[in-house]
Amino acid sequence: MLRKLLFQYQDKRQLVIAVVGAFLGMTFLITSIHYLIKVNDFGKGADILGPNTVIVQKKVSSFNTLNIAKPDFSLSEIEQMKKEPFILDVEPVESNNFNITIETADPSVPRFRGDIFIQTVDPDFLDIKSNDFHWKKGDTIVPILMPRDLLVMMNMFMGSKGMPQISDELAMDIHFKFALKNDTMKEYISCRIIGFTNDMPSVLVPQSFMNWANNRFAPDAEQKITQIMISGKENEFGLVEQMLEERHLESKNAQVVVGRLKSMVGTLILVVLGISIIAVFLSGLVLIQYLQLLLSKNLYEVRTLMRLGHHPNTLVKNFFVYFSKVFGIIGALSLVAFIGFKLFLDKVFESGGLYIDTNLSLLSILALILAYSLFALASYLSARKGIYEQNNG
Amino acid sequence: MNIQFNQVMPFPLASISHGHDSIWGNVAKLESGKKILLNASSGKGKSTFSMTVFGIRKDYDGTILYDGRDIKTFSVDEWVEIRQRKISTVFQDLQLFHKLTVAENLQLKNQLTDFKTEQEIKSLLAELEIDHKWNDPCGLLSMGQQQRVAIVRSLCQPFDWLVLDEPFSHLDERNSLRCLSMIDAECNSQKAGFVLTSLDDDNRFTYDYELKL
Repeated sequence: MLRKLLFQYQDKRQLVIAVVGAFLGMTFLITSIHYLIKVNDFGKGADILGPNTVIVQKKVSSFNTLNIAKPDFSLSEIEQMKKEPFILDVEPVESNNFNITIETADPSVPRFRGDIFIQTVDPDFLDIKSNDFHWKKGDTIVPILMPRDLLVMMNMFMGSKGMPQISDELAMDIHFKFALKNDTMKEYISCRIIGFTNDMPSVLVPQSFMNWANNRFAPDAEQKITQIMISGKENEFGLVEQMLEERHLESKNAQVVVGRLKSMVGTLILVVLGISIIAVFLSGLVLIQYLQLLLSKNLYEVRTLMRLGHHPNTLVKNFFVYFSKVFGIIGALSLVAFIGFKLFLDKVFESGGLYIDTNLSLLSILALILAYSLFALASYLSARKGIYEQNNG
Repeated sequence: MNIQFNQVMPFPLASISHGHDSIWGNVAKLESGKKILLNASSGKGKSTFSMTVFGIRKDYDGTILYDGRDIKTFSVDEWVEIRQRKISTVFQDLQLFHKLTVAENLQLKNQLTDFKTEQEIKSLLAELEIDHKWNDPCGLLSMGQQQRVAIVRSLCQPFDWLVLDEPFSHLDERNSLRCLSMIDAECNSQKAGFVLTSLDDDNRFTYDYELKL
């Protein structure tokens, strides 16, 4: 009965407009937050390099061939790059100065042997636990990160021998060993694959192993820095790419494409997110204004009910429960629409070759709950203020 | 519950001269369980009295005490309790909800304490010959019928005091007497008092005492 009395002056058209606005705003809000997270997560975990990280070298030109341009990086060049505001870090990639081969050392697989190139990078650039990727003098096994191309090559080899091909997990169980040699000595040391990389053309080893091996097998060789790792800030990859262009540096194309794609899509989604937040805010304001209008039309009823002995909080509760239900329905509809959008967009991404994580992101659900809570709180405070202003007791 | 007026002077009435027996500016007591007539001409503050004693208006000097406590110190919860169980009122402008039916208007009051059964409420309406209006919106009733609904509504709660602000202004003699009899009976059963404001002397009932404005 109270409800009938307090909501007798409803203007349904205004309510529907506000609800539609809030519904669209909330739908776009959770959709954009979800895809912003998923796009930022894209590529994470699939590889060992950290996000927004590229390995670059100087572009090969006729000047390099004629020995006019230097192919290696000086320390001052690295320091200059570090000073750029969009750069998080720049570190050299160290290489071996001696000959090294890798071969299988497992009786269960055929013997496979090949000359390789090993490199090491600062562990800060890697998405792996530092404890796993650690070696000290005296350790009998060297943990390595293998380029996936090498695994593909091994599988081609296995196929040609009529052996079943090996998966990533199986490869990590196979025993390998390095043969390190120079003109005067040769040593074997066991190694174990702990991960794979698409970004590096070489086998990655811990820095301590590289230092030990270079000192032992090439003590007089000068360490030249021909590759560096650059880590850029989130969503500023375009600036990193611009710097590479200006400094005549080049990177593995896929890294740049992914970085550029993430940067562009991330910026676009951020714009959508900003518009969504404004839409949610404005539609929330319209709904709260609707509540205030309702209250102002009900001044006589509210005042009289309190004079009859109805507690102001009972009246506040009526408005609060009604608007909480309205916001709840908007939230539920937004969630359903978001799931529908997600199913559609995931298929669009998949058909375009972008296999992004399809799980619901917790943050988008939290954003929905937060928006609902803010709406509900605003309606409670507005109703309380409006009703207590009419209270004479 | 005793109600005491201590030098109470509503701001809008401060410029008017009041007699030495007026409750405005003097000490006056509403003694528990008494039936009191408040007799005054227009503009002397009959509605102001009803509003101030009911805690709706606070624009006055002096103090109004319920059992020795200044009513300006009451909290929201205390006022809710007072309006539900201690003081009931019939407003001069009735303050009914015109879009709600007679039944809904009465239930909105009665549901706060479940003081009367639906049958009891209908009996009261029947006594005033408006029981057939049970499902009619109040807005469609005549002023006299609305006034009777407002009187019945004021009886749908427990109270120590019933404040009636010109409750029979739209009623004929017969209906006024019926209402007065019903009010008296309810007050007797609840051991409550009432204050009835009137434009002139009312000889239809033997009041315990009379107050002036």
